[in-house]
Amino acid sequence: MRGAAQSLKYLLLAAALAYPLMPFRDVYVLHVLVLIMVYMVLAMGLNILPGFCGLLDLGFVGFYGIGAYTAGLLTIHYNMSFWLIVPLAVLNGALFGVLLGAPTLRLVGDYFAIVTFGFSELVVLFLTNEIWLTRGPLGIPGIAPISLDVTWLATLLGVDERWRYAFRGEVPYYYLAMVMVALVFLVMTRVEDSRLGRAWLAIREDPMAAASCGVNLFAYKVIAFAVSTGIGALAGAFLARWTLFISPDMFKFWESFLVLCMVVLGGLGNIRGALVGSAILIALGEVLRVALPKLGLPAETRFLAYGLIMVVIMRFRPHGLFTQVAESTMQSSLIKDLRARIAARRTA
Amino acid sequence: MFGRKTTRAALACALGLTLGLAVAPAHAADTIKIAVPTPLTGSAAGYGENVKAGVDLKLEEINAAGGVGGKKLEAVYFDEQCEPREAATVSSSIVNDEAIVAIVGHLCSSAHLAGLPAYVREGIAAITPTATNTTISTKSKDEKGKAWSFRNVYRDDFQGKFLADYSAKVLGLKKVAVFYENNDYGIGLKDAFIKEAKALGLTVVGEEAYKKGDQDYTPQLTKLKGAAPEAMFIAGYYPEGALIADQAKKIGLNVAKMGADGFDNLDYVKLGGASADNTYLTAPFLVETAGADAKKFIDAFKAKYKRDVDWMSANAYDAAGIMAEAIAKVGADRAKIRDYLAGLDSPEKGYKGVTGVNYFDGNGDCLKPAYVKVVKDGKFVPAEKQMN
Amino acid sequence: MLEQQLVNGFTLGLIYALIAVGYTMVYGVIELINFAHGEIYMLGAFLTLSFISMGLPLPLAVLLAMLAAAAIGVLLDIIAYRPLREAPRLAALITAIGMSIFLQNLAMIIWGSRPMPFPKQALPAFFSEPALTFSDVTISWMQIIIYAVALLLMVGLNLIITRTRVGTAMRALAQNQTAASLMGINVNRVISFTFALGSAMGAMAGIMVSMYYNTMYPTMGYLAGVKAFAAAVLGGIGSVPGAMLGGVVLGIAETLGAGYVSSPYRDGVAYAVMILVIIFRPSGLLGRAVTEKA
Repeated sequence: MRGAAQSLKYLLLAAALAYPLMPFRDVYVLHVLVLIMVYMVLAMGLNILPGFCGLLDLGFVGFYGIGAYTAGLLTIHYNMSFWLIVPLAVLNGALFGVLLGAPTLRLVGDYFAIVTFGFSELVVLFLTNEIWLTRGPLGIPGIAPISLDVTWLATLLGVDERWRYAFRGEVPYYYLAMVMVALVFLVMTRVEDSRLGRAWLAIREDPMAAASCGVNLFAYKVIAFAVSTGIGALAGAFLARWTLFISPDMFKFWESFLVLCMVVLGGLGNIRGALVGSAILIALGEVLRVALPKLGLPAETRFLAYGLIMVVIMRFRPHGLFTQVAESTMQSSLIKDLRARIAARRTA
Repeated sequence: MFGRKTTRAALACALGLTLGLAVAPAHAADTIKIAVPTPLTGSAAGYGENVKAGVDLKLEEINAAGGVGGKKLEAVYFDEQCEPREAATVSSSIVNDEAIVAIVGHLCSSAHLAGLPAYVREGIAAITPTATNTTISTKSKDEKGKAWSFRNVYRDDFQGKFLADYSAKVLGLKKVAVFYENNDYGIGLKDAFIKEAKALGLTVVGEEAYKKGDQDYTPQLTKLKGAAPEAMFIAGYYPEGALIADQAKKIGLNVAKMGADGFDNLDYVKLGGASADNTYLTAPFLVETAGADAKKFIDAFKAKYKRDVDWMSANAYDAAGIMAEAIAKVGADRAKIRDYLAGLDSPEKGYKGVTGVNYFDGNGDCLKPAYVKVVKDGKFVPAEKQMN
Repeated sequence: MLEQQLVNGFTLGLIYALIAVGYTMVYGVIELINFAHGEIYMLGAFLTLSFISMGLPLPLAVLLAMLAAAAIGVLLDIIAYRPLREAPRLAALITAIGMSIFLQNLAMIIWGSRPMPFPKQALPAFFSEPALTFSDVTISWMQIIIYAVALLLMVGLNLIITRTRVGTAMRALAQNQTAASLMGINVNRVISFTFALGSAMGAMAGIMVSMYYNTMYPTMGYLAGVKAFAAAVLGGIGSVPGAMLGGVVLGIAETLGAGYVSSPYRDGVAYAVMILVIIFRPSGLLGRAVTEKA
């Protein structure tokens, strides 16, 4: 079974890689898949706070917006390359994360949640009202698509040509999004297994015990906030250069809830769960859009069904689709050793 | 690495997605499809319903008369909730379906701007009956300068300027207050109004904002009342406008009100009651002076939907009519339809619809005369004095 | 002008307070942020509309709408939340969000998505007339009715909570559910009662808002719900007097913010006040201090 699962996984990956090159590829499906991947990045980013650290964050969308506007404005005004914008946007998101995080992380439980919510609303209000900077509700249209300029390589090789590739259509974005998801996934799985990740999990399980074991609660929480918001901003930067239009409407607080739903649905704290959760919730909206009219139901019933399905999933899988403890953690040699010893002691 | 459950769930997801999406382009040869991306759920759903009503009525009439070239026209509705993100998704779905030859929509300017990149890139023409923001004019063209987005509705700057002119020149006002909805529509109107007011020496004594969905406007109105204006320009839509008129009256701010086409809906009077009286608003046509076609449309609309016509339905009705005519003239070909629309560039060549003559400039914008209506005793009546 | 703004802010604040009470009571007994509460508020208004259009007189329609809303609240708990009592807290939160989407769209299908006026003929004509006028401050009859009803409901609620057996049971539940059930308290029945009480208050708020502003629409619960939730947290979530105080503070802050700071930042002022209060008083205005426990 394990082997079959393995080969199935590679098959799926190969199919995903090959799909855009197939003659029967569908722009709409590609678009939805890219959107799913954007939300995968968001969900993995958010997962750090409620999933790893046990901090309920209801204001994630604020940082997504900060990333998108950083990218959008830098593109419009300075025509900066996407590859330069990404680190800047991530840093900007992380900076705001720390600015918010530092004074609020001492708050407990739902008080923390509502402050993050209030902050993200303030961010959106800023984006809406500071028209001199953001054009306000008019949004920023006409953002240049991503381009890959390797003319320097040509110059280096002595070729007198412009080696520049501008992204067009969904296919290049699809592959870029895949790379982005893979990178964030890799980073997250490594972090989860690191000293940092274990400190976070310790904070989630019992802050008091963690602190008495020498975990600096405050420092680790601030780091969690910075990493989480930085990833949110990364997704925002990609979004801005992909949809080529951003407006404050795209960052309403509903988006925060949506991403939170993805994380919880997948299984709080489980990185793969976050991936699956985003795939399900985005695909669900689209499937319902197509399927309901075919069943003879009016388009107005789409969100009725959406809400109901969310309720039903939580009813039957209250812990999410995947267990909380990440498999990678369970496979760490340290844990395996520990489990073996516990088992041995039990039998003895 | 992946557990069994993960794989199974991922597979189920992928399967669901492909199943759900792959069945979409079922090609029926005897119909020609027009996409109508518009909000059908969410807070703007009421407006989406207006657009749907107009398009449905027009297509029904055309199909009852035998369709276009022996084929029936079919409107395919795409719910985008007036959200840019949803609009972007929907736009990719529209360009992807080869059976769709033209678009009537989007409803909101921000959604339209989010959909445009795909339409321009893939080459499919859209007429928006309602998106008024000026930015659309600069983003409607491809690299060769061909416009793919058209509209048979005024731009915000036209209406804002028009109302400022009307206030100063016809009503002879000196001091006005501006209360605007904090969105693309409200800000576009407000900016144009204030710019023209300055040029005419009309003093704007107060300028306040509100948000869609607000219910309490008294703080802003109390502040505006302190500035003692002679009239108040409410730059927004009728549901909020009616509440504003009502609350203004309650706090004793009994002045003339002005609104743009966002007010042109009889629900404004129903919601506002007596407070709606003395409101001036712009309209693309007047029922009283409209031609026979328009009268017929107004009656048909009332018979079918049991409510009065609003400007969105009228514009949508005409937009669908223009598309139908284009298809009838040049066939179901995306590029040819665009060229045909671009060719409607003068009043002589324009499409004569219920909202007047529809023709487009190089940016796809339309130029239409505007009329002024006023609310009197719970009814819309033409204002005594029109511009010119 | 300041006095007028304060009067209006106080009116708005009382409405928030009525909704916030529902949030805070439910939170007090089962630690759930019931995001569907804003939808109950909306349903209160629409149910009244339906009852009036059936020909019922206004007081009866209002009473029936409150009862119906209470029943919906109880049903919501039984169907959606009760099966998740032992589940992680966030599962119930997501369910609440799902129910909120469901109810909002259901209302949109039943009553349509256009805003509807409150049936004027059902209201006595003097309601919108000014009742009191001091120099430049006007208070309308509707405002006085809102004050009276809100204060009456809140005093009544306080009496229920402090003087009755079921109120004592509610407070016991808030402190320790297990211990309460060991004392012979029927936990589920008390929770149902809490939902009924909170929903009825929320529905009343919705009814009065739709009368006061003469409008109702299916998405109205969204913003009001969020603001009321903020008010509940501001006052100290779980504390009923806190929710009342939080509502009034938020309403006044918002009104003064719009009047004196900047109208586009109206909600921003409300959120900023909330954030500052929580940072300096980490358990809200009247909340109990909680120790960190995840």
